[in-house]
Amino acid sequence: MTRTPTSRAQTPSAVELEIIRASLSGIVQEMQNALFRTGFSTIIRESQDASCAILDADGDVIAQHVVLPLHLGAFPACTAAVLRNFGDDIRDGDAFLINDPYEGGSPHAPDMAVITPAFHAGKLVGFCASIAHKGDIGGPVPGSCSGQAREVFNEGLQLPAVRYQRGYAAYGDVDRIIRANSRTPDLVLGDIRGQLGCARLGERRLCDLLEKFGDAKCSLAFQELGRIAEARIRAVVAGWADGEFTAERFVDDDGVELNKPIRIHVKATKVGDRISFDFSGSADQTRGPANIRPPLLRAACAYAVISLIDPGIFISSGVLRAFDVQSRPGSVLDPVHPAPVNTYNPTVHAIVDVIFAAIGHLVPDRARADGCGSRSIIIGGRTTSSGKGYVQYEIVGGGAGALGTGDGASGTTVNQSNAKIAPIEIIESEFPTRVLAFELIKDSGGAGQFRGGLGLRRRYLNLADARFSIRSTKHVIPAAGMAGGGPGRTGDILMRPDSPDCEHLPSRYADYPLQKGMVFELQTPGGGGFGDPFDRDPELVLADVQNGRVSPECAAESYGVWLTDEGGTWVIDAPLTDKLRSQDRTDQTSTDKIRRQI
Amino acid sequence: MNETTGETTIAKVPSTPDDPSLAILTGVDQFLGGGRSAEQVRHFCHGTTVGTNALLETKGAKTGLLVTQGFTGIYEVAEQARPHGSAIFDVQYKKPTPLVPASLMAEVVERVASDGSILTHLDETALRESLRGLRQRGIESLAVCLLFSFLEPGHEERVRDIIAEEIPGCEVSLSCEIVPQIREYHRLSTTVINAYLQPILARYIGRLGQRLAEVGIATPQKYIMQSNGGMSTFGATSRKGVATVLSGPAGGVTASVAVAKETGLGDLITFDMGGTSCDVALIKDGQPVIANRGKVEGRDISMPMMDINTVSAGGGTLAHVDDFGVLQVGPHSSGAVPGPACYGRGGTKPTITDCNLVLGYLPVGNFLGGKMRLDHAKAQRAVRDAIADPLGMDVSEAAEGIVRIIDVKMQEAIKAISTMRGHDLRDFMLLPFGGAGPIHAGRMVRELNLAGAVIPLHPGVFSAMGLVMSDVKHDYVRSLLRNLDGIAPTEISSVFDQMETAARRDLRAEGFDDDKVHIRPLLDLRYAGQGYELTLPVGAVSTSADLTVIKRNFDAEHEKTFGHCAEGETVEIVSFRIEATGFVPAIDRKKYKAEGTDIAQARLGTRTARFDGQDRDTTIYQREKLDVGHRFTGPAVVEQFDCTTVVLPGQSVLVDDYKNLILTETA
Repeated sequence: MTRTPTSRAQTPSAVELEIIRASLSGIVQEMQNALFRTGFSTIIRESQDASCAILDADGDVIAQHVVLPLHLGAFPACTAAVLRNFGDDIRDGDAFLINDPYEGGSPHAPDMAVITPAFHAGKLVGFCASIAHKGDIGGPVPGSCSGQAREVFNEGLQLPAVRYQRGYAAYGDVDRIIRANSRTPDLVLGDIRGQLGCARLGERRLCDLLEKFGDAKCSLAFQELGRIAEARIRAVVAGWADGEFTAERFVDDDGVELNKPIRIHVKATKVGDRISFDFSGSADQTRGPANIRPPLLRAACAYAVISLIDPGIFISSGVLRAFDVQSRPGSVLDPVHPAPVNTYNPTVHAIVDVIFAAIGHLVPDRARADGCGSRSIIIGGRTTSSGKGYVQYEIVGGGAGALGTGDGASGTTVNQSNAKIAPIEIIESEFPTRVLAFELIKDSGGAGQFRGGLGLRRRYLNLADARFSIRSTKHVIPAAGMAGGGPGRTGDILMRPDSPDCEHLPSRYADYPLQKGMVFELQTPGGGGFGDPFDRDPELVLADVQNGRVSPECAAESYGVWLTDEGGTWVIDAPLTDKLRSQDRTDQTSTDKIRRQI
Repeated sequence: MNETTGETTIAKVPSTPDDPSLAILTGVDQFLGGGRSAEQVRHFCHGTTVGTNALLETKGAKTGLLVTQGFTGIYEVAEQARPHGSAIFDVQYKKPTPLVPASLMAEVVERVASDGSILTHLDETALRESLRGLRQRGIESLAVCLLFSFLEPGHEERVRDIIAEEIPGCEVSLSCEIVPQIREYHRLSTTVINAYLQPILARYIGRLGQRLAEVGIATPQKYIMQSNGGMSTFGATSRKGVATVLSGPAGGVTASVAVAKETGLGDLITFDMGGTSCDVALIKDGQPVIANRGKVEGRDISMPMMDINTVSAGGGTLAHVDDFGVLQVGPHSSGAVPGPACYGRGGTKPTITDCNLVLGYLPVGNFLGGKMRLDHAKAQRAVRDAIADPLGMDVSEAAEGIVRIIDVKMQEAIKAISTMRGHDLRDFMLLPFGGAGPIHAGRMVRELNLAGAVIPLHPGVFSAMGLVMSDVKHDYVRSLLRNLDGIAPTEISSVFDQMETAARRDLRAEGFDDDKVHIRPLLDLRYAGQGYELTLPVGAVSTSADLTVIKRNFDAEHEKTFGHCAEGETVEIVSFRIEATGFVPAIDRKKYKAEGTDIAQARLGTRTARFDGQDRDTTIYQREKLDVGHRFTGPAVVEQFDCTTVVLPGQSVLVDDYKNLILTETA
């Protein structure tokens, strides 16, 4: 490559590049900490459903502190919308809001992006941005995520890119619009204030960095960091066998057509250092809100690629350039406006799972069975004392898929989802609800040489009339096992469990009327198993039984390990275990036969 | 330390991992050898990692756990989320293994509601049955964490009585005593860790107490360092061992607080850089910042502790160039073996120490008082082969670049605890210690725009000095959610009064009269509905005007820490805290008088050292020969037995009355 003398002087040295990288990491970390600490809602502060990034003047991500990997796709798309609409009139002290999934790239309307331009020496040098989930942004149901939404118009207030501040001062108009639309306006506006504070902090720090090294050198360094991220991924891909790999996964349903699983299909083509993911074979766009837009699809692919290649990689838009993605317009992964999108997570999990299923075998150390996906429950109501609206929003994990090297974790978030569980003592202190049980579900982990993680049971007593919504997955189609491992147990949501009028809601459901005194129970899915369960070390099966993870019955049936109770202690019956494990497994009744013999 | 003269004697002995109290006794023997008698020992202060190590190596006691019926998921689910950063992409990420396996967990039929009322009474018959089951399994210690026990401790207390009857001799840790604070998982995890360590620490402390008694050290003033930077008695530590787990780096901060007092410099950034890591902490107005939560290997501890930020940056931190031409510094370290290349113990990869040697900052022959000779050629070769040649730079340029990168990482760590929380670094002095701190201090001062640096007389053993400089400190907490605009001022004062009474009672039992006790009330406050609290000291509360002051202070602190506040929002109390200090008689460190020696006697000569890409003739001083009142300017290097200090061109140094080096930018 030939460079002019001036550009050579501005090319960052290896030392400068690393200093700039370390500084960027520090800045996004600082922004992130500020956001977590300053957010008002339990969603940001307890569940930490928010993330921050720095983008260049073209809207490419320079650095992101990874809390929510999906925002890697959302940040550039939201910033592009700002540039498109305001490109010729962006000034120092401006701030923009956007949450419209079609206009920008927000996964759904509650994910509000706050974007501020950074100026140095009078020139636009980049943007500081954060995206944080809002408890309620209006629409027909508390929490704004209706599983029965038919259009984005049912999904809360849609803000295209709007200018929120000029000269560091708020217009106030947008605040008034939000206030008139949200059920919890104080929390939403409080969170936006926190996001603004974090963006302004990022601007100051970014400008300090530019001051130190100069705009031109920094700009080249940012590009170089992106190029290196891309090169790292390509170098690993180049080491894989060339080929075409396909896989499919199904999402339970779209919340509207309840008996119609949604197909997610990938054809991964790997040639040299290039890998492309073609999702054209996926289902048509859905009537209910299972659709996701291409920025999210790309981010989901990035999540899977980073997980398979280098979890420690420096996150920037360079990662997105390292692979190609195709989707079919009019499909569930490339829907046409105004198709609803609010319950995007089950589809995203299916994308991650389908990529692991297709190419996981290329990376044996990181291959894994499917996990529980993710889910949230939302209870909205008005407090009897003040009449003020509240939204109780909880994100509950389940079992992780087993690896080729060990059991899956129990009661955890998986894939791109990573919210903390809300403490019971906080929930009960703040909301009219009582938790009756919180435990792991025995036998919910898929059987395998390595067992899938266990799902969770969380049972509630509702203490005031309220409205209930759920966005879950894998209540119908379980987490698949891998390499001969069994599937995990499916999840469930039960109203009035243990009573004759017990009702199962669909995994995606909005606005169920919860009455005061009503009990409901959420059961979350277990992870899939890895490898043949008959290859599992009987001692591990014994430990699982002792620890209440596996029942003795399941030990015999799924694992072929016979345990006997000797004075309150389980012990392995080796001869019977050998017999069970050597039997013909196509004969379903053989375990029963052995049981009868005893 | 001699209480009358302020003189200190330092002995260093090898550790005895099988029974750490043996090494302590060896040290005590050495110390008593010098004409001092055991009876003269009035204070015995001890810092121990026995608990920390047992936790890191999971070699604690066989521990059981009792939880409210139906809530067996709390412990294993923990926070549910994986840590931020790469773990979210890492399918191989593992949660820490529970210290109590599910088979040693039992459920207690009982339930307390969120207002402290009892929903389900304790089923004692069922409890006894569960306990008999646990007894058969041979548990040594039991953690008890029932929902809302911080509001209504009755059930946990009754459970303890029944355990005493059913499993005599079993140690018991109640969550309502260890940390009566809202958020069940964090309370539970802290209580479990305590139960897990308690028998180990109790045995260790018992044995140490006995050994000390055998050599005649009979004083009741025997203390152990806590994570909060204070001391606690042997007895109290045996019961609450979890409070020692993060005490390791606390000593340095405590010693820094003493320096703040003696020098009158109230605002300090402590900078403890050793072989593998760098610990930084902030002291404002002479008070260290305290965090209310921390983690050890992913396990959560809710205990007041010194708020220390650690970054992988030490003398042994390795540099390398990866396949993509990126110069990476850290996080890996060469460790003690093989160590930096220049130690000549087989290390060939370049470390920070090697770079500092190449740059002329470290002495070849005067390292550790001449006990160890550094190999300049090996350091150069390591930097050349691994960094300079692959990147096409010259060796000094590469060495300087590596040091700049590690400096930036440490600067980010300092920003995270200072500017990020609303502090202006121009008001702060850096207090560098540890083997490598003073080498990098001048650069930190310059890059962060600090007021200057105070380099203590013995940076290498500074942390240990914290032991003889700290007071006894107990923390009390009680969660009680109350809106500030709905609570009666008398309710606040009555909660504090109760807590203060308990604190004074405990300290009196440890031999502190009321006039030797300081009580500092604090409140954990938040805007109603927020999920994160700020801890603020509060004065006496008797009128509603006092509540307004609290509200105003909270708004101001929120604005300062987070850059915004919400004056119209209701403020909520989450927890009441009392920090109770029992004053150990103050020991003044020795002040020195100027002996009037000429600074020329401290000059060892000059050598070439590199600063900002230029080789400079640099004056070398011998620290031990510097006298009070001496002044000199950089570029300079000050060598001493346990440490080396680098003064940049444009910086000046003054030796103060304590023989601290006061480094500032030359005006």
